[in-house]
Amino acid sequence: MCDKDRLVSYLYDDLTDADRAGFERHLRECADCRLDLDALRGVRADLISWSPPQPEFGFRVVREPKVLPMRPTWRAWWTPAAGLAAAAVLVLAAASAIAHVEISSGPQGFTVRTGWSSSAFAPASEQRSGETASRAVSARGDVMLPVSAANVDAAFIESIDRRLRALEVAVREPGLVQRASYSARSQDSDADLIRRMREMLAQSENRQQAQLALRINQVIGDFEKQRVADFSQIQQGFGRIQRSVSEEAQGHREITNYLLASSKQK
Amino acid sequence: MASTDEELVARSQGGDLESFNQLVVRWERPIYALAYRTIGREEDARDVCQETFLRAFRALKGFKGQAKFSSWLYRITLNLCRDWIRRERRQPVAQAPEGVDLIELASEQSPTESIEDLVARQEISQAVARAMAELPEEQRTAIILKEYHGLTFQEIADMLDCPLSTVKTRLYQGLTVLRRQLGREGVGRHHV
Repeated sequence: MCDKDRLVSYLYDDLTDADRAGFERHLRECADCRLDLDALRGVRADLISWSPPQPEFGFRVVREPKVLPMRPTWRAWWTPAAGLAAAAVLVLAAASAIAHVEISSGPQGFTVRTGWSSSAFAPASEQRSGETASRAVSARGDVMLPVSAANVDAAFIESIDRRLRALEVAVREPGLVQRASYSARSQDSDADLIRRMREMLAQSENRQQAQLALRINQVIGDFEKQRVADFSQIQQGFGRIQRSVSEEAQGHREITNYLLASSKQK
Repeated sequence: MASTDEELVARSQGGDLESFNQLVVRWERPIYALAYRTIGREEDARDVCQETFLRAFRALKGFKGQAKFSSWLYRITLNLCRDWIRRERRQPVAQAPEGVDLIELASEQSPTESIEDLVARQEISQAVARAMAELPEEQRTAIILKEYHGLTFQEIADMLDCPLSTVKTRLYQGLTVLRRQLGREGVGRHHV
């Protein structure tokens, strides 16, 4: 078996002088290797004819300007809607801080409490007589006032009750109503009732107005106190910043003077 | 006097883009020829050539000069060609027109070459391209690197990560297959 690796090396002229001489001795004796060698030389000559196309290249490596990857900034998600929402939250927060508003929900609906007192609002039925500090507004916007049973005349309630019962009987037995005519006494009683009710309504209105005025005064007072406190804090803050800036400026002046003095000495 | 590859590489590694572009000009044709003969498609070979230089440029800092710069480029090109063949799942194609355009041929004619010789050369070229496309990838690569790029057996062995004797075996087997193939086609100076 002939050494084909040596044949390939001889074909490409990659043998030492001694190896080449040795292989040429082998070729003189081996007809197969001679034929093989001639055929492969012919193939190599054919391979030369295969040339690739000659395109125009002209591409070069160029340095592109550095483009930093866009990182999402606040501008990326900031939309007018988001801005409005943020502004609304800020306004609410500021208003809450100023008015000390507390919002809660319960069996009576949403309750909004304002003011700086720590006592929570209790429903009217739970309020003790004389407690006027707590103020509340129901979710419907009605002002809920503390009502005491002691404020109502017992005799007046009794008279209303009697009159209601008489009316109920008249409704159940219309014949009696047709037959019976109102006596002068009962007419007097009705007129008296209306008068008394008007008086009560007027008193109630006066009382409500007085309490509303009181509450408004308290809210305004609280707001004013808070405003003064905030203003005072802001002034203190500005004072601190001013002192800090003055100290820094003094330090810079000293450094500059030192540098100037040093440079003059040199 | 022209700078050597090593000098241009060193300057390129220092950030000199012009030096790298000189290397591109110097090596773009051999690299394109290697890609074209390996995958057989002009446009794809162009892309591979371009990608070779881009990859070389990006990896230039890591090039320590253990091998010649050209060998390093060849290795990148062959890897890209291998990726292309795997991706396309097909053998390289032998791009050759069916008919021979005599006017086009005449423009390539050398003053001493007759038109008959020119046509014969063109036929052989097409037959070689077809026969090469039929070869197994390892044999084809070994023949291309040896015949068309003049690499030594050792350089080919290093580039293909195989023993020296394997390179010679692949060459012998590849050339033998080509000889038979060209003999069947009845072209060239082969001996059946």
